[in-house]
Parts: sequence; C-alpha cells; structure tokens
Amino acid sequence: MSKNLYEKIITIYSDLTDADFMPHRGTIHLQNDSDGRGDYIKSWTHPTHAQPTQEQLDAVQ
Amino acid sequence: MTMILDGSNGITMPTWTTANRPTNPIIGAQGYNTTYGGVEVYNGSTWTLVTGGPAFSAYLSSTQSITTATTTKIAFDTKIFDTNNCFNTSTSRFTPNVPGYYQINLNVQGSSSSYSSMQIYQIYKSNNPYVKSDWRYQSATIDTGSGDVSSLIYMNGTTDYIEAYAYIVASSSPTVSGSSTTQISGSFVRGQ
Repeated sequence: MSKNLYEKIITIYSDLTDADFMPHRGTIHLQNDSDGRGDYIKSWTHPTHAQPTQEQLDAVQ
Repeated sequence: MTMILDGSNGITMPTWTTANRPTNPIIGAQGYNTTYGGVEVYNGSTWTLVTGGPAFSAYLSSTQSITTATTTKIAFDTKIFDTNNCFNTSTSRFTPNVPGYYQINLNVQGSSSSYSSMQIYQIYKSNNPYVKSDWRYQSATIDTGSGDVSSLIYMNGTTDYIEAYAYIVASSSPTVSGSSTTQISGSFVRGQ
C-alpha cells in the first residue's frame, strides 16, 4: 500500500511533528477538497524545511 | 405597481424581481421580491430582505475516511431541507442567493481505530477558514470525539459560499461519522 501525502512528508522530514501540520498554528497545511483530486499541499511556510518537490514525493515508497 | 387594501384579503404589496426593482425608490419603500421570496425594504442605499430567505440542513449519510493531519472537506451528501435550493450535495457547498447575515451551524463526530490526539472542525467561507472548534488532546483510551461550531456570517448572495472541513490526527484510519452525528445547517437571519 502506497504512502499518503502526510506519510511521505514525514518520511522526508522525520523531525516534523503533528504541531507542524495543525490548522492555524502549523506551517504546513495539507488539504483534500473531496473532489477526487486527493490530498495536496495548500500552503507551506515552514521556517527551515523547503517544500518537497513532486520528484521527492514520488521517490518515497 | 399598486398596493391593495380591500379589507378582507390582507395587504397586497407591489411585487418585483431583483432585476426589476423600482428605479428611484424612496427610503421606506417596500415590496415583495419574487426572486428571493420575501418582503424587502429600501433603506436609502440598498434593498434589505426582512422576511423569508434561504434555510437548509444536510448531513453526511455514511462514514467518510480521511487522511490523518489533512484538512478534508466533509462530503455532506443528503439534504433534510433546502428552501431556496442553495445547497449543492455534489460540492457540499451552500451558496445563498440572498445577501445578508446567516447563522451557520456545524456538528461533527470524528473517530479512528486508534486513539485520536486532535480533532478540529472548521466552517470555511469561500475557500478560507472562518471559524473552528477547539482542538483537543484526548485520553489515550478514547477514539471518538465531536465538535460543534456556529457563527453569524455575512454572505453577499452571489459568490460567497460555505463549506465544512475536518482535521483529525490519529495513527490509523481517521473517519468522520455518518448519519445524524455529522450535520450542517444554516438560515438567513437579516439583510445587509
């Protein structure tokens, strides 16, 4: 079973915690609009980690 | 346009559509707007609906799986009522056709097969977070929680819309519960 977007990001940046993903307080916001397009990164303003590229995400098994 | 007072059939007010309102109204002018289905009054700068207006209620009919730590739109797919046909079950979106202030209510129950450390439920206005429930860290022995959110929200009657989103952190299988435990409702309160 392939990893979801959240799991892929945690795999790339293992030091991230749930607090980093919290609405309003966190700096990484993942969203799913229930329109069939799946999970996506709505915003990424983490102070030290750059937003992973699609290639990086695709490389995570 | 005439007003009829015949002493037996009530007061019959002038009627018009939104597109065919009086062109030079004076303050206090009023009539029945057939587009909105209610009586409106001119306040000197705009028309304000004082009766009627949209009201709706909808619920999630079956359990919706979501990804942990991912803000996910709740797919309300069944209407209980929808007076002005403003709630779309395909998009789970309420787009009222009358400008004014609306009371919006959201009740959600979330679960997971493991314990859930955080649940946040939000009302979105036009794709942006507007108001949310309190987040919480639950006991490790509890896997189900609920949130209630309500707010009075101004809607412009054309492009503004309301949606609801859920955010659950759980180590496995977070879900939003279906049937009566997850509902959204709203009603026109007053004009602009």
